Amino acid sequence: MVYHLARADFLERVRRYSFVFIMGISLYFGYAAATGQLVMRVNESRGDFNSAWIGGLMALVSTTFLTLAGFYVVKNTVERDRLTRVGEILASTPMSKTMYVMGKAISNFVVLTAMVAILPISGIIMQFWHGEDSHVELWKLWAPFLLIALPAMAVVAAIAVLFETIPWLRGGFGNVVYFFVWTTALTIPVVGAEKGGTQFFDWSGLSVIWSSLRAAAKGPAGHDGFSLSIESTSAVKAASTFRWDGVQWTSSLVFARLFWVAAAIAIALLAALLFDRFDPSKERWRGVAAPEAGNGLEGAAAPRMPTYVTHLTPLAARPVRFRFGAILIAELRLMLKGKKWWWYAVAAGLIVACAATPDASARGILLACAWLWPVLMWSSMGVREVRDQTSQLLFSAPHPIARQLPAVWLAGVVLALLTGSGFGSRVLLSGDWRGLLAWLIGALFIPTLALALGVWSGSSKLFEIVYTLLWYVGPMHATLQLDFMASAPGTAATRVPSFYFVVTVAIAAVAALGRKRQLQT
Amino acid sequence: MKLVIDGVSKQYAGKVWGLRDLRLELKPGVVGLLGPNGAGKSTLMRILATVTRASAGRVLWNDADIAQAPDTLRSVLGYLPQDFGVYPHLTALEFLEYMAAVKGLDAASARKRIDELLAVVNLAEARDRSLGGFSGGMKQRVGIAQALLNDPELLIVDEPTAGLDPEERARFRNLLSELSGERIVIFSTHIVSDIEAIATDIAILGGGWLLEHAAPEELLRAVEGKVWEWVIPSAEVPAAKQQFLISTSVRRTDGVHVRIVAVDRPGAGAVVASPTLEDAYLHCISSQRASVAA
Repeated sequence: MVYHLARADFLERVRRYSFVFIMGISLYFGYAAATGQLVMRVNESRGDFNSAWIGGLMALVSTTFLTLAGFYVVKNTVERDRLTRVGEILASTPMSKTMYVMGKAISNFVVLTAMVAILPISGIIMQFWHGEDSHVELWKLWAPFLLIALPAMAVVAAIAVLFETIPWLRGGFGNVVYFFVWTTALTIPVVGAEKGGTQFFDWSGLSVIWSSLRAAAKGPAGHDGFSLSIESTSAVKAASTFRWDGVQWTSSLVFARLFWVAAAIAIALLAALLFDRFDPSKERWRGVAAPEAGNGLEGAAAPRMPTYVTHLTPLAARPVRFRFGAILIAELRLMLKGKKWWWYAVAAGLIVACAATPDASARGILLACAWLWPVLMWSSMGVREVRDQTSQLLFSAPHPIARQLPAVWLAGVVLALLTGSGFGSRVLLSGDWRGLLAWLIGALFIPTLALALGVWSGSSKLFEIVYTLLWYVGPMHATLQLDFMASAPGTAATRVPSFYFVVTVAIAAVAALGRKRQLQT
Repeated sequence: MKLVIDGVSKQYAGKVWGLRDLRLELKPGVVGLLGPNGAGKSTLMRILATVTRASAGRVLWNDADIAQAPDTLRSVLGYLPQDFGVYPHLTALEFLEYMAAVKGLDAASARKRIDELLAVVNLAEARDRSLGGFSGGMKQRVGIAQALLNDPELLIVDEPTAGLDPEERARFRNLLSELSGERIVIFSTHIVSDIEAIATDIAILGGGWLLEHAAPEELLRAVEGKVWEWVIPSAEVPAAKQQFLISTSVRRTDGVHVRIVAVDRPGAGAVVASPTLEDAYLHCISSQRASVAA
């Protein structure tokens, strides 16, 4: 039964466009690595392009980029059964929770393996392409894939299922949480390995390769730089080289990697424990069963409302007036409703903190937090109509692009202005007009990006991933070119805000085009 | 007020035809759209509601091509799709206010209209409850209400009684009947009894083609003398099903009373019966299937 469940799920997944898209990304990484554009450097040097070096590089690509992208690809399988109501059918069969969850985890793992399997294949091409060492040693080429990449993928596969069985991690919040889990999982083990910590707690296996590379590179003390980057082929050829014969796979290292396979199984079993077996009474909207008549009456003996009131007063001259304000208020209501009181409390706290903090850098970090907090609201822009199946109702109303779409966009902008108002008011009061303008541009950019990605992808996930990544690399790490919020001091004085204004206008046009496309299909 | 469907066809990916060269001219009244699953009813409804475009042909609303100027029709259109969703966090009132604004109603008219509609669909007491907690039938009634918000000249309802209990279905039929005088109502269903009470015209679709378009009386006349009631032993029922088109069968103490649609008398004991619309529909569909098979 587990095999059939995994097989059906796998086939369902690989026949979707999203799988083709992700395979395309893997192929790109494979191509970049094979042509030498994707480079691993240690102490500004690189290893000879032998089987060990190439195998290590491929494993690193898998455990860095693909453990992030892969999670988002596979994290929807249980939700799909829930939304399509196939889950309710499965729940009425003898299938156990453990079987179901293990089947899903196995399917996730097979999908992820298919994604990463391109890399070791391209590794062989890569070795011949560079011609620095034509002796192909299959074990050294494939061992990092088998012992580093696959256990990492097993963990990702299991975590994806676990997140789907925990209600508050099932949706967009889980997408954001995983990003931080991933960054922590990559950073901590490497730091631990540098300090001589055990590689046992390294899910990604990065520290295994890093420790071995460091020993081989033998750079000057205090210069243990490591990087994985995309560069031009000429720069690669010009770099100094050293010889690395790969990780020495001792029994303890192999056991440490197999530990993570066992951990993946344990995570999947935990998911099985938490899985609700599609019980609709555990879903949010079914806390109290709705009385069928909808009259709030109780008991069969209660009198019914008059049953044959059918007269409707004709509308006088069918007044048709475009009330943008009413639509805007409704869109804001759609965006804001359903949030618990503490969401508003945190948003208010961030507004106050932004306004009260005198230090510009700290204020910038707080703005970044204030503009991450509503990410799940923005991510529903352009998606709601598809997700909640109201598109036929809305698209059959007059002027859907000219009326409803701008209202959706403006609601997102209002949300950005409100949540960032602490920072904005501080900048306004200080008379920094350039800073205020830059902040405004940020408030326009975010919802515009959300709307465009939502309209084109039909899913809130794409914006959640892209925006979180952009947010992390840009404002949080004060990367100037990606500081779309102009949160770091000095950004406002550069051309970066102007750039994002132009990008915002372009993305707005893309969003309108996307909505037009939806109307025409 | 006139709706002309002029040679409309719709082809989907994989060269599947949803509709083929459909021609209809509709004036005020209730047009019942009948047909089996996959006949093309919903496809036609979506084209008329400007949600999708025809692959060929055109639809004229008061002589204006709706593909060129869809908003002309949308401002007077009420549409209830077969599958639709609602916003679970909004209350019924908030959702209808939103739809009223999207359809261009002014605030005062919208308020009055919403109050009336909620009473008509029997949701007045549930107006302030979140839609996420509504049952399927309640959501369907909200859908009916939003379709009527702008007092539409063209009302398109696709399987509107799905999920409604018999009382609600009767109420809805009465409502449509009352509304039909000054507007065109296109009512799609495969429940014949829903249509037979109120339709002034019936269009039968099958395999994407228009099989029949006539008044109910004409359809009934076409099967006059071709509907038989016959009492047979229960052991003979399987053989009868193989041989004849049986529209209903009821077990009674004297045997199984079967209702058969056939040109010739099916058996010695069969007597002619007054045809119903269901008989006419079955006759039409089976004739189409027979001609396709031939």
